[in-house]
Amino acid sequence: MHLLDIRNLTIELQTAETTIRAVDRVSFSLKEGEVHALVGESGSGKSLIAKAIVGVLNERWVITADRMHWRGVDLMRLTPEQRRKTVSQDIAMIYQDPSRCLDPTAKIFNQIAETLPEVATTGFFLKRNRARKDRVKALIHKVGIKNHEAVLDSYPHELSEGVCQKVMIAMAIARTPKLLIADEPTTALESTTRAQVFRLLKSLNQLKNMSILMISHELEEIVNWSHGIHVLYCGQMVEAGPTQRIFSQPRHPYTQALLKSLPDYEHGLAHKEPFYALKGTIPTLQHLPIGCRLGPRCPQAQKECVVAPKLSKHHGHSYACHFPLIKEVK
Amino acid sequence: MILDYILRRLGLLFFMVLLLSIFTFSLSYLFPGDVLSNLSGVSNTNFAQSALLEEKYRVNSNYFIQYIAFLDRILQGDWGVSFASGDSVFKHILDLIPATLELSIYALLISVVVGVPLGILASAYYKRWPDKLISSTAIVGYSMPIFWLALLLIMVFSLKLGWFPMSGRVSLLYEIPASTGFILVDILLADFPYNGMAMLDALHHLTLPTIVLAMYPTTVLVRFTRESMLKVMDQSYIKTARAKGLNRGQLIIHHALRNALLPVIKQIGLQFSTLITLAMITEVIFSWPGIGRWLIDSIYQRDYPAIQGGLMAVSLFIIIATIMAELTYTLLDPLSRNQAHGKV
Ligand SMILES: Nc1ncnc2c1ncn2[C@@H]1O[C@H](COP(=O)(O)OP(=O)(O)O)[C@@H](O)[C@H]1O
Ligand code: SF4
Ligand SMILES: [Mg+2]
Repeated sequence: MHLLDIRNLTIELQTAETTIRAVDRVSFSLKEGEVHALVGESGSGKSLIAKAIVGVLNERWVITADRMHWRGVDLMRLTPEQRRKTVSQDIAMIYQDPSRCLDPTAKIFNQIAETLPEVATTGFFLKRNRARKDRVKALIHKVGIKNHEAVLDSYPHELSEGVCQKVMIAMAIARTPKLLIADEPTTALESTTRAQVFRLLKSLNQLKNMSILMISHELEEIVNWSHGIHVLYCGQMVEAGPTQRIFSQPRHPYTQALLKSLPDYEHGLAHKEPFYALKGTIPTLQHLPIGCRLGPRCPQAQKECVVAPKLSKHHGHSYACHFPLIKEVK
Repeated sequence: MILDYILRRLGLLFFMVLLLSIFTFSLSYLFPGDVLSNLSGVSNTNFAQSALLEEKYRVNSNYFIQYIAFLDRILQGDWGVSFASGDSVFKHILDLIPATLELSIYALLISVVVGVPLGILASAYYKRWPDKLISSTAIVGYSMPIFWLALLLIMVFSLKLGWFPMSGRVSLLYEIPASTGFILVDILLADFPYNGMAMLDALHHLTLPTIVLAMYPTTVLVRFTRESMLKVMDQSYIKTARAKGLNRGQLIIHHALRNALLPVIKQIGLQFSTLITLAMITEVIFSWPGIGRWLIDSIYQRDYPAIQGGLMAVSLFIIIATIMAELTYTLLDPLSRNQAHGKV
């Protein structure tokens, strides 16, 4: 059974004049114990999808979906209270903007401590307190914070963005969730701790069978242990499939561009050779091109591309392009 | 760093008081009439008295020397005598200010006790009937002129129903020795057999003026608290805390209240200056023997020494109260505590 199964998730922003569709009919699913990556340029709607799953978007956003099943239960049909219970029990998220997701007037210790699941301990008040303290300390060591005394006694604004991110990670793994959504969990970290965090997540996946939805730019970090990749462009899923297939046979020009921009993809980059990159930037949501949204930037674009391509699926590998790439045999 | 901030605030206090004293000093020269009698409050003097006053107020030296002499007298509590009563202005102020403070403090207390919880309640039931009821009532209270409200209350509760007296602090039956000037405290301190009855009577007298005076700050606090709560409830950290598994009650108690009430504390302090102004009107209506009524009477009677002294005393109170509120807020808020060095 699928752990998470989403069909045609659409997220729109209601403004005074118009509705802006930021995420357009995105579908994907995830089995227990799997790691999936959600990639795409910044602004393509990755964070919105993640927040919609956890249910932390503002009232201004209108979320519709044919289904959003969590272990067979449709989250969209639950009452807010039921949904909060289900989500907080099984799903945790590492947010992209850690300092804004921490209460500015509460000490770090309290914020981590309240995430801990209620354990039916029978001990005295003092003993319970002691146990909580130890567990918070253990958590914070796990994410690579050494001076725990100082950090736990601080307010968020007294810490660097990197430390806040580590605190967020600690809070996310505190309940050992079934699904961890990690929204660019390492952007504010230095490279050594970055590797440490990836190792931690990897071990949680392998030892605790925790599923992970990873939103990340660091494709090279996750390629070895992710089962599937979903490529997002302008709020639309342009290609999705098993990691190895996507890497070896990207069909969509955008996926290819993403892969080519990886420094050691194909090992063909000579000294000081320019990076491969698509021309132009991602269009704003108010000025989307008609037809294929990649059209203006696509090296393969032809006349037919003014009609939006449909998603076609072969052997669990789907892509939306009129002129899919067939990998040339070298 | 926090000490640095406190010192800076005290420095500001010092400069504001300095400016205030210069302003008060110059009033004597700006008011019509003789400078000497404006300063001293003594008019119709004979030659010998005039010479004595001239010597005391140094009116023949330059302005700076006169100002220094003025400061010296102010610090010693010699604020001149009132034209109207011939008594020391300073003594008048000392006698009257407790009555005003008492009224203002009770009104502020009531407005906090009533306004803040109502604001929280309204935000908790955002856009449902409790919110609509509270918000619209607050708007009505906010836009109602207080003298009109006062007259309305007097008409209904004093004249028609006869529940509350319409003027004074306490019935003339009770002779309360003034020790602190706060009537309720004085009654408690004075040890006589009708203690309870006197207390009840004083409370009866207090009711209407306190309600009238509390109306405006209460509605301001209701609206401000509601806005503040709604703003905080919309923040990312509240949404994420909810996703972490906290229920609505925990969310409000552990995260929303503290963040939302910090700005409210600041607002309470700022209300104090408005309150003193409104207290003057209330005192006139209810014949409350406070400094506001006295000041307004003095203005009618062109009692210049009294106007000067009264203005200075009231302004001093407002400055000090505002700075105290700021300090409390800064000490309580971890964020602004940290940024305190960046503020003036
Ligand atoms: N609060 C907001 N108000 C208006 N537009 C927003 C808001 N948050 C995100 N967006 C828009 O939604 C789109 C997707 O944003 P996001 O999901 O954060 O992208 P990503 O995480 O992929 O970088 C962006 O184009 C962004 O401009
Ligand atoms: S449909 Fe056309 S424009 Fe779009 S990605 Fe394919 S080739 Fe490029
Ligand atoms: Mg993002």
